[in-house]
Amino acid sequence: MSEKITFKDLVEQISRQSNQSQSSTNSFIHELVQIIEGGLKKNGSVSISGFGKFELRWMNERTGTNPQTGEEIVIPGQNKVVFKPYKALREDVNKPYASLKARVLGDTASNAVEEKEEPVPEEAETIEIPFIAAKAKEVRKTSVPVDELLIEHDNPHFPENDPFATLVADEDAEASIPAILPNEENVAKEVQKAGSFKWSYAAAVIIALIAFIILFLMFQRMGDTSAPATADQTEQLLTPVEPSVVPDTDATAEPDPTPTAQPEPTSPLQTEFEIESHTVVPGESLWSIAEANLGNPYLWPIIYQLNGDIITNPNQLPAVAELDIPIISDPENLNEFEREQVALGYFALYDWNRENSPEDARFFLWAVGVFSPELLEEPPSEVDPDDLTFALNR
Amino acid sequence: MNYKQLIDRLSEKSGNSKVKTKELVQDTVDVLTKQLCDGKGVSIPDLGTFSTKVSDEKKVYNPHYDAYMMVPPKRVVEFSPAAGLKEEIKFLETRNE
Repeated sequence: MSEKITFKDLVEQISRQSNQSQSSTNSFIHELVQIIEGGLKKNGSVSISGFGKFELRWMNERTGTNPQTGEEIVIPGQNKVVFKPYKALREDVNKPYASLKARVLGDTASNAVEEKEEPVPEEAETIEIPFIAAKAKEVRKTSVPVDELLIEHDNPHFPENDPFATLVADEDAEASIPAILPNEENVAKEVQKAGSFKWSYAAAVIIALIAFIILFLMFQRMGDTSAPATADQTEQLLTPVEPSVVPDTDATAEPDPTPTAQPEPTSPLQTEFEIESHTVVPGESLWSIAEANLGNPYLWPIIYQLNGDIITNPNQLPAVAELDIPIISDPENLNEFEREQVALGYFALYDWNRENSPEDARFFLWAVGVFSPELLEEPPSEVDPDDLTFALNR
Repeated sequence: MNYKQLIDRLSEKSGNSKVKTKELVQDTVDVLTKQLCDGKGVSIPDLGTFSTKVSDEKKVYNPHYDAYMMVPPKRVVEFSPAAGLKEEIKFLETRNE
């Protein structure tokens, strides 16, 4: 946030907009604030049309550390006020960015696993140590590994005992290895896509690596350690090089997939929702409750799933029923558990619709697949094969 | 408390008609929205501060395509409650109605 306007300015602007005196606007806002406070205390939520909804949310007791002493302390359960902007406000505020669209990256889930295993260049310093250590030891042992190197790179003219010659060979090796590894299909593809621009990155990384190797060699010569260093040469070389070549295909992206960009599965697994309760008001539907409370109406099956004992017909809510509503922190990026729960909700609806409105049932099965393809592959109970084909092919 | 109840209470308290009250609230909302759209923060005494923040571009997994997606930067509204309000509601028993 860059600047703030003062309360005085705000009052002035509102009074201009509404043609009221500033003093009456001032007292009006104070009344409004009091009502909002009162509403929060009494009802736990206050909604303002076109703006958003203030809500109390109960935070469970948790442990934290005192940042000054490093001591563990128990933070008692307490309420906090959350503000959920409604769609109109969200869209208005996001206008400058509204034209940007999410785009699909080439990597699939399986690729991502690979990517995860690869070291990120920023971590390279720590990772390099075994790599360089192994290298330096090879230099001592000289002939065999160097031979391998030379054979592999068609460059048989380096004197075998000169460590610096090995370094030159290394450079060649690093430059050529991604291209000569047919088993790493993805890498090869990426290399082709990346073109010359990426090679400059590769070159930069290689130069940095060589500098490291030289430094390390100097150091290594003074000290003395010996350990077997027979790990596969190509693999050793590959690890540090790959990240410079693999990253996103677009030229603007920075060369390193940073750890923050890593997929959600790394976060601790959630097994339970935080629940808040909601009393049905006449005129509400599961859809509208999901829209107001979860932030995304399409998540309504989650409510159905959690309240299966109360809701017998998802199209008709029992009047003044108390429903359990899960708290979803970010409705636009569900975590794995949340997705699975939504999918289970849709599955329950599929079952219900098969009995009560068989025409529509297949659409719910399709929705199961949207949220959790895995669940569609192994349905928890029997499904109609025709519906399954529909769900898979839609 | 829904919007209708809010307007009812507010008009009772201020003595304005409901229609008038509604207009005033909407004017307030319009001004707040405009300020937030201009990237400015707004503090309201005893209630809290509204501000906007641009979230970074991030990479998320989309199960539908079985692929990762670059989600573009986005500007979102943030609200931080005033200290007084925070304390007052801290240990209240919540009853959602």
